[in-house]
Amino acid sequence: MIKTKILIGLLLLTCTSAWAQTNYDASLIPKDLLRYASAVIRNEEITTEVKELDNVSYHVKRVITVLNPNGDNIAHMAIYYDKSIAIKYIKGIAINEFGKVIAKFSERDFEDVSTAGNSDLFEEYRVKHYIPSITQYPYTIDYEYETKNKQSLSLDNWYPAPENGLAIEKSSYQMICSPDFNLRFKQFNLPAKVTIGKNKEGIKTYMWQIAHLLARKDESFSLDGRHTLPALVFAPEKFSFYGYTGTFQDWSQFGKWMYDNLLKNRTSLPDETVQYIKSITADIQDTKLKAKKVYEYMQQKTHYISIQIGIGGWQPFLASDVDKVGYGDCKALVNYTQALLKVAGVDSWYCVVYGDHYQKRSLLSDFANLEGNHVILCLPLKNDTTWLECTSQEIPFGYLGDFTDDRNALACTPEGGKLLHTPKYTTEQNLVTRKADFTLNETGDLTGEIATTFKGVDYEDREEIVGKAQADRLKDFKWYYPINNIEIKTLNYKQDKSLDPTTFENVKLAAREYGAITDGKFYFSLNSVDRISTGYKQSNNRTNPVTINHGHTYNDSVTYTLPAGYRLDSEPLNVTINKPFGNFTASLTIKDNQLVYLRKLQIKDGSYDKETYGDIVDFYNSIVDADNYNVILIKK
Amino acid sequence: MRKPALIFIVLTLALLKTSAQDFPYGKVDNDALNLTKYAKDTSAHAVIIDEYGTSRIGFDNDYRILITYVRHEKIKFFDNKDFESEGTIIEGLYNRNETSYEEMSDIKAITYFKDDNGNIQHVELDQSKIFRTRETKHESTVKFALPALRSGCVVEFSYKISTPYLFGFKGWEFQTSIPKIKSVYEVHIPGFWEYNAALAGPLKLSFNTAKVERACLTYGGGGGIASGASADCSDIVYGMNDVPAFVEEDYMTSDKNFKSAIIYQLVQETDLQSGVKTKYTKDWKDIDNLLKEESLFGSQLKRTSLFKDRLGPVLAGKTDEMEKGKAVYNYIKNTIKWNEHDSPFSADGIKQALESHTGNSGDVNLALVTALNAAGIHTEAVLLSTRINGVVNKLYPDINSFNYVIAKATIGGQSYLLDATEPLLPFGMLPLRCLNDQGRVFSLDKPSYWIDMATPQREKTTYAIDLTLQDDGKLKGTLSRFSVGYSAYLKRKEIKKFNSIDEYFEHVSGETHGIKFTKSNVSTTDSLDNPVAETYEVEINPTDKMVNNRIGFSPFLIEQLKTNPFKLARRDYPVDWGMPSEDRYIITVHLPAQYTLENAPQPLSYGLPNQGGNFQTDFTTDGSTLTFSYITRINHSVYSTEEYPYLKELFNKIILAEKNELVFKKK
Repeated sequence: MIKTKILIGLLLLTCTSAWAQTNYDASLIPKDLLRYASAVIRNEEITTEVKELDNVSYHVKRVITVLNPNGDNIAHMAIYYDKSIAIKYIKGIAINEFGKVIAKFSERDFEDVSTAGNSDLFEEYRVKHYIPSITQYPYTIDYEYETKNKQSLSLDNWYPAPENGLAIEKSSYQMICSPDFNLRFKQFNLPAKVTIGKNKEGIKTYMWQIAHLLARKDESFSLDGRHTLPALVFAPEKFSFYGYTGTFQDWSQFGKWMYDNLLKNRTSLPDETVQYIKSITADIQDTKLKAKKVYEYMQQKTHYISIQIGIGGWQPFLASDVDKVGYGDCKALVNYTQALLKVAGVDSWYCVVYGDHYQKRSLLSDFANLEGNHVILCLPLKNDTTWLECTSQEIPFGYLGDFTDDRNALACTPEGGKLLHTPKYTTEQNLVTRKADFTLNETGDLTGEIATTFKGVDYEDREEIVGKAQADRLKDFKWYYPINNIEIKTLNYKQDKSLDPTTFENVKLAAREYGAITDGKFYFSLNSVDRISTGYKQSNNRTNPVTINHGHTYNDSVTYTLPAGYRLDSEPLNVTINKPFGNFTASLTIKDNQLVYLRKLQIKDGSYDKETYGDIVDFYNSIVDADNYNVILIKK
Repeated sequence: MRKPALIFIVLTLALLKTSAQDFPYGKVDNDALNLTKYAKDTSAHAVIIDEYGTSRIGFDNDYRILITYVRHEKIKFFDNKDFESEGTIIEGLYNRNETSYEEMSDIKAITYFKDDNGNIQHVELDQSKIFRTRETKHESTVKFALPALRSGCVVEFSYKISTPYLFGFKGWEFQTSIPKIKSVYEVHIPGFWEYNAALAGPLKLSFNTAKVERACLTYGGGGGIASGASADCSDIVYGMNDVPAFVEEDYMTSDKNFKSAIIYQLVQETDLQSGVKTKYTKDWKDIDNLLKEESLFGSQLKRTSLFKDRLGPVLAGKTDEMEKGKAVYNYIKNTIKWNEHDSPFSADGIKQALESHTGNSGDVNLALVTALNAAGIHTEAVLLSTRINGVVNKLYPDINSFNYVIAKATIGGQSYLLDATEPLLPFGMLPLRCLNDQGRVFSLDKPSYWIDMATPQREKTTYAIDLTLQDDGKLKGTLSRFSVGYSAYLKRKEIKKFNSIDEYFEHVSGETHGIKFTKSNVSTTDSLDNPVAETYEVEINPTDKMVNNRIGFSPFLIEQLKTNPFKLARRDYPVDWGMPSEDRYIITVHLPAQYTLENAPQPLSYGLPNQGGNFQTDFTTDGSTLTFSYITRINHSVYSTEEYPYLKELFNKIILAEKNELVFKKK
């Protein structure tokens, strides 16, 4: 009898003060979770409830302990919204190391700012953000908020540990769906499967849980988070999106919906432009050459400006608007180019893709959903599919570079969506060839020239300096080559923008005291044209497999004409390393007064197991050693 | 020459009859369109052909003060490279509340270009393509992209900004990142108000005229000044022709110190209701009084009572002034977290900052000044301008050039400059951002005065490496790094970025190519006043370089320079490091009996003029133990453009020395 009373008392207590129930004393965090951790999620409960297609509520309750100042940014609360998202409430408390409440906060404390930076002309998104100011670590914040979302196409995906340095004690995600809402989902690296059940109102629920996840740190040669971290991605079957509705289960249906609702009838152009395009393409028979002419017209007429507006940022501006103002974002410029091509009788497809220089992020082959961050244009020419990046005034026709190569793209066509794969630039194609001719005089001064060509994804290696005024080029060029006291006599860049584009760099230079003379010995650095000066760090606890995104080939040949009367005093350089992921050779030979240095480095793209990382570290260490080689000459 | 080459010129004017005028809007001439290059800077991607700005103080319909600023510009684009940097216009606006705000209006732009037939075409800015964004509570931006840009086009645009804030009187940047053929700024200031103008930067005005407009502004509101009272206006024109593009250099302080611009400061205002004149900044005495009365400055310094209870436990048992000072300093550091905003003023009062545990630099350091005074330590506030904010205008008293405040405590006759925004700073040391020119010391009871912000602090690092050559050709031993002074602070900050000392050691282990770190001993837990000492057991393996029983060994084991940090043949602006530095390396190698040293390096020495610093190497040996040491001293904070070639040569000498090796020979 007494026992029952106490139980009731406890229940009442939990009802009146939801926050007092758990002890968040920082010392209760399991010790092994502290490794590499700046913050630990003690408990997280996220619930998404699809009440109707245009009424989705998103409720987050999160308790996070910040261990040191590095964790402040991880714990920083940021709630993004636009006109389709209403923030219902935000409230929370801060707790000290010992579990005692030290502050309370609410939506009032949050700063409301635009997400647009100086480089964005406009963005509809805004963010409310806040972090309580606490000087004593560790501390814990315990907060919850709810948003109401008027669309159900882009559901909140779950990335339980989105950042390095964040460990998880426990975290869960619940999805509650109205009876007529069919949910599709795909899970990545989640240890436990979904639990499907019914809540007390008899409505279908899905529940995922994760516990005791260690913090990660940056690992070189790793794929993006979705391949290595736990993630859960959702898509609806039927949905509502900024006033539009639709149904899809695969990319074909989704691409069709995109075309019919967001893209169709946005390509009409003013008559003068139509006539002009017809006039400049009338005499060209070949479709591809026609397209090239139109593309180059588009490039000289437009430039890229970031502007996110309308239909959640997914609908392009009208082609006629771009025609008038001469600028647009990727969607607007692709749509405009498509419109111009149509006038010239060339068919093209608007393609959604992920643009990323460092990761080949790809749309999921087997899971259609609203994703991607960029748009490009595809010309489905017979046996010669050609891709166009429309946001650059400089990029050659048909060139994608490492921003969008070798990944899935969704073509949105009147017949439906097609998942295509963009072309890949191979290890052999990504080629940098360098030839240098140097003369060293008796006092160690160097004169000579370097001629370099860049191809494949490396075509863009010099894009930044090519775009600068000559005065700035001369200043910036010195950072490319580690030649002390470098003095540039002439510097030229040329770009061949054909279908196999090439950048040419030619420099004539001099460098006082490149070599040092002491005690009758002549010292100089062998490699000042393509030197790798730092390797990679050894790692004992690597978790990710090794991924090399792009292969590259570097061929360097350097000839030094030496002052007369010297012979080599150091051991001649002769290194050859062959590994599955790359090859390196470097050699030095002297004939008469000609010293010839040959260096070839090849890195091969691909996936390798995590143990390969140690070999990569050794490989680069050997290259750093070889690149550091100091020539020592002595009088004959 | 220690001071940056900032030039402020007092603008004194001859009164002339003539006056410049805005160039007509909506006209383009063929020559501008045909231009393919700017002769005075052939590598420029764009040039401003003409630019005219004007600021005029007047009234709105209700006789409230309104300053109207108009900017009108005509720019030529030779190619498409500057579309991104020059093609989008962004203006920030401030609003105090719903009835008092800045406004941007009359925005227009036209782009002219030649079509394929050589006919001049034009496209006008679409008003629906002007974007207004509320950025934060009090700030918004207006952005528009110039329409229909293409290579060779000429664009003209103009807009108006109205502000009700007398302190918001706009200055003018004559020099920017692209060259200008002509740039003119004209101001109309009625006699009700008085402003100071100062010209910054080394360029001179090409023309400058002033005239008086009689009875140019009439007050129609009621009050002490009879309705109908009118004032004469000063109509002043400043102009520059052929302004070169500003090119930034490495190791310089704020570009504001060097770009040519004109800035204004309100000196005196006549209240139109009462006719009473309010002096803002006639001399330092006025500013001192203003600051003393300012609710977010002087009033905060008077709030010592806030600390009576708070400091009780902090000072308990402490009798020594220095001990007390340090305790208060630590108390403020631990109580108010800097929110990374710079301000010489408190945001909402120091009470609020103490309670919310956060605040800007004004909150943190005004609380520090007040708390120290409450603890019986005589402390003054020092107003200063951070490095990024540029040097202080000393031509006339100008409170607007300060953006930061610190404390100056006097203990035992000695003064200490204190900034409590950085938890890892030791007592008496300042963060680099504060080391800029001069600061103005302010207290409640004495007139303010200037002090040099140069402090005795310096960056100092010493490496001691002790190695023994093994039979197998490996070198084993210890590597110690002592970070002293400001270097200790930077090192503590670096270590703090890691979650534990173990993680820091992992980072250090991979830091230096060719050195294997096996064990570590890092001490950071002791007082912030002490150096940070790190000792590592290391192993260096040069065996694969053993040739003919000889091993080459470079004593420049760590932080080799390889290339000169200074690339330019000559500079236009001084090098500014902020503070002196010293790096010292001592490498000791013990040779086993079967090895001898084949070559003994020659000691080198290179000194900078004016005791500016030096690089020096030294070598001693007794046959079995050899010691090689080198030291780099940078004794000054600032090096003038004349001293620059010597500084560059100093680094060249270091790089030449780095090429030398010690060669050990097996007997």
